[in-house]
Amino acid sequence: MSYQILPYRFERIKENVFLSNEVGEHLYLTSDDFNKFIEHRLEPEEKTFKDLKSKQIIADSHLDDVIEMLAIKYRTKKNFLTESTSLHMIVASLRCNSNCSYCQVSKKDLSDVSFDMTKKTAKKVVEKIFDSPSSNIKIEFQGGEPLLNFEIIKYIIDKAEWTNIFKKKNLEFVICTNLTSIDEKMLKWLKGHKVYISTSIDGPKELHNLNRPLHDIENSYDLVTEKIKLCREYLGRDSVSALMTTTSHTINHFKEIIDKYIELEFDSVFLRSLNPYGFAKRDKHILAYPMNDFIENYKKGLDYIIEINKQGKFFAEGYATILLTRILTPFSTGFVDLQSPAGIAIAGVIYDYDGDVYVSDEGRMLASVGDKKFKIGNVEVNSYQEIFNSAYLHELIENSIAESLPDCATCSYQSYCGADPVRNYSEQGDIIGNRTISEICNKNKSIIKYLLSLLQKNDNEINKVFWSWITRKSF
Amino acid sequence: MKQLKGKAYNLNEVIIGKITSKNDLFATKKDLIYVTNNGDFPNGYLAVITSNKDINKGTSRYIENVENIFELHDNDIVTVDPDGKISIVYDINSKHNAIFITERCNSNCIMCPQPPVKQEEDKLNLNLKYISLIDKNAKSIGITGGEPTLIGEKLFDILNAIYNRIPKASINLLSNGIKFENYEYAKRFAQAVKQEIVVDIPLYSDIDTIHNSIVRTNSFYKTIKGMYNLAKFNIKIGIRVVIHKMNYDRLPELSEFIYSNFPFVYHVAFMQMEPMGYAKDNLTDLWIDPVDYNKELEEAVINLHYRDMQVSIYNTQLCLLPEKLRRFAVQSISDWKNIYIDECNNCSKKQECPGFFASSKTVHSKHIKSFNNVENN
Repeated sequence: MSYQILPYRFERIKENVFLSNEVGEHLYLTSDDFNKFIEHRLEPEEKTFKDLKSKQIIADSHLDDVIEMLAIKYRTKKNFLTESTSLHMIVASLRCNSNCSYCQVSKKDLSDVSFDMTKKTAKKVVEKIFDSPSSNIKIEFQGGEPLLNFEIIKYIIDKAEWTNIFKKKNLEFVICTNLTSIDEKMLKWLKGHKVYISTSIDGPKELHNLNRPLHDIENSYDLVTEKIKLCREYLGRDSVSALMTTTSHTINHFKEIIDKYIELEFDSVFLRSLNPYGFAKRDKHILAYPMNDFIENYKKGLDYIIEINKQGKFFAEGYATILLTRILTPFSTGFVDLQSPAGIAIAGVIYDYDGDVYVSDEGRMLASVGDKKFKIGNVEVNSYQEIFNSAYLHELIENSIAESLPDCATCSYQSYCGADPVRNYSEQGDIIGNRTISEICNKNKSIIKYLLSLLQKNDNEINKVFWSWITRKSF
Repeated sequence: MKQLKGKAYNLNEVIIGKITSKNDLFATKKDLIYVTNNGDFPNGYLAVITSNKDINKGTSRYIENVENIFELHDNDIVTVDPDGKISIVYDINSKHNAIFITERCNSNCIMCPQPPVKQEEDKLNLNLKYISLIDKNAKSIGITGGEPTLIGEKLFDILNAIYNRIPKASINLLSNGIKFENYEYAKRFAQAVKQEIVVDIPLYSDIDTIHNSIVRTNSFYKTIKGMYNLAKFNIKIGIRVVIHKMNYDRLPELSEFIYSNFPFVYHVAFMQMEPMGYAKDNLTDLWIDPVDYNKELEEAVINLHYRDMQVSIYNTQLCLLPEKLRRFAVQSISDWKNIYIDECNNCSKKQECPGFFASSKTVHSKHIKSFNNVENN
């Protein structure tokens, strides 16, 4: 039979073959059917022929039309590129009142305001942000503990809102904070602006306090949970979300952590592995764990969350939601770590307290241990063009395209995954990296594979749960 | 549409007018058709319709000996043919009123309930007149055919007239989408639309050859291109899938195809076939008892529902659907041809059930069974 085979990637999984194409369409064939398919022996009446045609993996006529349909889907999948750059992180202060076991970036001297961003720098930062062509702008305050420099947060929000009267972008703000120093006065001010709170809860009291003690108080847990309530009162029920970071102390306790999130009335949790940066890297022997341990616990945690949802409670896992959106929908996702080309500087960018600009938060963390590889400029010295259109940034991005990276290029999960040059560099010393020894590749592949195996069951109950996460709706 | 019959006098061409039963001295009578059961015969109306006969009114325009004139309501719009056929083109009590643009079509669907004609008189002026008479409070109006886009740019005159008369009404245009393959036409169409509109387009399969063998033209990719062009101009698109033996087995695949290629569509409707016209002629090739495609239908509907797409099931009797699908069933059959059969008489769900097409009276599922107070699953 004469048909053309369009670009696809595949992987043998037990007796079946998993096929996917550039836009994430996928299906499974038996080995026999796969052989017939590649040997051009499929007949148009066969279901397999029709299924492959429906997913635009083969075409027997109207090739131009089929390619045009693929092109439309491809543009949709890569839509984040037309929204560059939308996530702008600002380090309001490097000072921090917290003493988290896995953090290295913050300065512990609470009185040393030389690590605060100044108005002069902040003004330049806002100008740069609004030079971005993206129609969606999210400004995320980081630290240190950004609330320790609340004046600069207010200044930036005010200035951004003024600027936006003319720029008319979809503008929102997020403050990433340990919340311990938030008070009613701050909340009264924040209430009038489009501000969301992103905080950290590492689990039940003992676990949380083990990972995230304050300088002066061991029990940060009680303080944070009380402040979460206060934020919800002022800013609304959905204004607060939380993240967790897994350490060796917490890796075997995902179930308790999940239960705690539900008890605290969050509707999702993000089961996040430790990043190999900063203190976490230095104290690796104490805090780290083999990636495979994380993966196994993640799967169990995910199973547990799915069961909770099956009982009728909406509660999502963040990482799975992003991956499922990439696997099952034609849309692009905003998550910076899973993009190709990599999201560095074009999906998200970070402005340090001193005006230095880094391609990502992880790039900034590397700088704090002395390696400024991922610095792309300074807001006070460089123009927007110089920062975001430099030959250097081009080079970084050109080397961070999964479609052409070794191993990624042929990986059947490529369209669900992304390139992470900063992570490669940090783990292996070069931005391209070797996938066979890459922890992040192992993690992403394992989780994607697990999600695909759950989808392959075609279990209506599981599908329902997954779609409710993707659409953020309970059915 | 509903039709009445009488004997017309002094009528040389088709006329269109609005029904009134009240002889209002101050009304503009030239567009009104006066209906009477009594012997009265006021002057100045476009025409008079009466149930009486042998009334001998000289050169006045009238239709006498009309049965069932109680079917005519004030503010209905009717056309009257010289042979005395009265067609209610706009039923004031119906939600399914439409402007019938043309009987010609550039598809030739194997199950078409109203097979197209090759030649016809231009309907534009009659339709513009019709639009000028539509009740100003109308909330919705259909534009249908045949294939409405076959009148080309004149369709924009229709859209304009609708906007001038009922700017707040929403329009539902039924089209096969082929004409919108032309980017310029799609663009000019979008410019002509100034109010809420949904363009409903049939897509019968995810596989071109299957779709083409149903529409009996080589148009699958033209329709798809048409949808993309309309989407470029933010025109809301609905997809309609009539189900029969030729396409039921790939409904789940079709639902995924729709979501992954046209996630922008506003609404997807799965429709039971109306066994009229070509559908009746080709019944042996097309007929499958709706119960026998429930499995595929359920998967397709649930797929789209999970994907946050608006999805409905049209023309399907509640007793045939699995319980979880009943909430998607819509009373979609135009009032004038919507019937129930004897089995329905004692059914406790009759009020909410879409019922049958008149033509389904003899051709319907073997599994019709009334709901009693005790649930029959």
